Amino acid sequence: MNRSHLLLDPHRRGVPGLARMRRYRDDDAVDMAIVGCGAGGGVLAQRLARAGWRVVVLERGPFWDPDRDWVSDEAGSSHLYWNDTRIIAGEDPVEMGKNNSGLGVGGSMVHFAGYTPRFHPSDFATRSVDGVGADWPIDYADLRAHYTVLERELPVAGQRWPWGDPHGYPHAPHPVCGAAERAWEGARACGVTMRVGPVSITNGPFGNRPHCIYRGFCLQGCKVNAKASPLVTHVPDAIEQGAEVRADSMVVGLETDGGGAVSGVRYLRDGTERLQRAHAVAVCGYSIESPRLLLHSGIGNDHDQVGRYIMVQGAPQIAGRFPELLRMYKAPPPEISSEQFYETDPDRGFARGFSIQTVSPLPIGWAEHVLADGHRGPALREYMRDYNHWSVLGALCELLPRAENRVTLAGETDRFGMPLARFSYTRGENDRANIAYAKRVINQIWQAAGAQDILTIDRYAHLVGGCRMGTDPETSVVDADHRVWGVPNVFVCDGSVMPTQGSANPALTIMALAARLAERLAARRISDARRRAA
Amino acid sequence: MSRTQATDFSEAGHLPKVGDEGSADPAGLPRQRRGTTPQMHGRYPDFDVMQELDHWDERTRELIVSRVEAVPQRTFFTEQEFATLTALADLVLAQDREPRVPALAFVDAKLESGRGDGYRYDDMPDDRETWRTVARGLDEAAGEPFAEAPVELRERVVGALADGSLSGGAWAEVNVTRAYGIVMRDLLEAFYSHPWAWNEIGFGGPAYPRGYQALGVDRHEPWEGREAFELDPVRDVKERGLE
Repeated sequence: MNRSHLLLDPHRRGVPGLARMRRYRDDDAVDMAIVGCGAGGGVLAQRLARAGWRVVVLERGPFWDPDRDWVSDEAGSSHLYWNDTRIIAGEDPVEMGKNNSGLGVGGSMVHFAGYTPRFHPSDFATRSVDGVGADWPIDYADLRAHYTVLERELPVAGQRWPWGDPHGYPHAPHPVCGAAERAWEGARACGVTMRVGPVSITNGPFGNRPHCIYRGFCLQGCKVNAKASPLVTHVPDAIEQGAEVRADSMVVGLETDGGGAVSGVRYLRDGTERLQRAHAVAVCGYSIESPRLLLHSGIGNDHDQVGRYIMVQGAPQIAGRFPELLRMYKAPPPEISSEQFYETDPDRGFARGFSIQTVSPLPIGWAEHVLADGHRGPALREYMRDYNHWSVLGALCELLPRAENRVTLAGETDRFGMPLARFSYTRGENDRANIAYAKRVINQIWQAAGAQDILTIDRYAHLVGGCRMGTDPETSVVDADHRVWGVPNVFVCDGSVMPTQGSANPALTIMALAARLAERLAARRISDARRRAA
Repeated sequence: MSRTQATDFSEAGHLPKVGDEGSADPAGLPRQRRGTTPQMHGRYPDFDVMQELDHWDERTRELIVSRVEAVPQRTFFTEQEFATLTALADLVLAQDREPRVPALAFVDAKLESGRGDGYRYDDMPDDRETWRTVARGLDEAAGEPFAEAPVELRERVVGALADGSLSGGAWAEVNVTRAYGIVMRDLLEAFYSHPWAWNEIGFGGPAYPRGYQALGVDRHEPWEGREAFELDPVRDVKERGLE
């Protein structure tokens, strides 16, 4: 049950009724304090509130009002990202900020493109099946029902999905723009099957959320309320059910009670440090901030596992040039995609695979693409003038987890007095082979489509891992119930718990994990979770 | 080949990787007839995105209009740094004459605000420091104030910056390739967030609350720009003083 789409206002985009939102005192020990209001924290709050739990979500960023806070503009949207410095290192450093780090109520889904594929059943057992990565302590069947419910709640639009566990979607596929038409022709011509979707963007009215208007600024925050993020899909219902979402509150530490459990969270609001008491805490800060908070609080790291096995996806983008005007800035950037290469194929010479998706950058994104292909000055300006003739496909390559790809605490501290996160990342041989193969396939698609020129940018997308779930405290941070090993009442519920990442965008799976955890907590299937009802 | 003939943009010979050297020369493009483009050449001579601003939501309109009407004053860079970096920006953005998008002024404002991009390479200083180091390094590499150096020398230095081959002095303090990337991305963000640049490339700009409905190949909204395949010889010859 989730009435968020009905609780929104049909004529204004901001979440109504904030003045009536329930407020908890700092010394009122709530059942669950949730750190971070993104895909994990937002869903967890809504589900627990529905189950009668007294919940406070502490979100470092603002409570967004799309009418007031967001613009149809690339450069004007930088406030949507986590822009505080992270130190990046390793042989293949991963740039942070706008590409992968969100801020404010709704989290990274506020600026994600909108692709919401499921993981495949094989993703939960890559060690057993393919001899690489890691097995999860849960499997696809544990999430299937949650995927189905969430696809209705977001809602997801797309054609019937033939890959992984085949399934349909509640909203019909969106029309595609000229750029995607050309990509699709090329794919068909060289035997690559593509489907429209799956995107969590309304196709038709959904409660008080209107139809998508195809303005193309999905990555800048949806001013229409057509694209899903917890801000519109779960937070309204959570608040209606008595949860408090406390924005502009930066959690800087977990408070321990001296007996091995946690008694609350320390946070900064309006320049003052406060302590919110709680019977249990769920850390939902994603792959950099969750490990940083645990490490800084000295929690859960008895076996030096916190912060390890962070993964990104190899995400090269390749553009093809066509005689006609395609105007890729129209329609949502996520339009058509393929999971034909998702699973291991021994003939390719590497384990696991990749997906292919349209991406459609706006002008600044296109300029970075042209720059990456090696152009500046008059040549760069000419490729920019040619913008409307291009179509862009991206790959999402499954890169394998490695213990040394990790977050540690740097020597410097930030303005909150917390040590900066230092994220070191280096690819492996399998990773390089996967990316190179994916690029060859996309090049073949463009050749088959008759592209007149091709431009390439190498990049990464998404983040998962850092507090991975497992069956053994010596090789993981949380158990199958998301509970930090050795601590009775601290949970981690975000993308950081994923032991592998597939080649799917992670948002829907993060939400499904949160929905499953909430279901188990609410049904008291998790022993010793220390819930003391008010 | 410079474009002395009207270009058919369904072909790709005007593109740098496809055509011969000089294929990117904009000299043969039409003059802009409505609104402004950087240097006044463009592929969509009758498209001015600023004519559409009544169709934008108020927040977006205020922001875009301010980029044209309220160019930030230099506050972060010193006068000499600003002169050196302006010369760099003009080269890498191919802005050889007015009207120019004041890209560096927007970069100055961003650096002054202290807003970062969310990361710092472990072998690099803070972006603000990187920008100052680049300014100092350009003057060192030119052996004189970079802005006053002959254009061939400036181009050679920028080429060495782009391929990471500058070394010594200021360049020993940074990873040169990464410094080039940081500088370029700030400049490109400033340049391509300016509505004059949108006119040049035919980008429809903000589209809320109006949205788009003509999504297919070679389809356009009634108000979107059309690509110009031919020069208007009477006006173009006159405006370029070729009579």
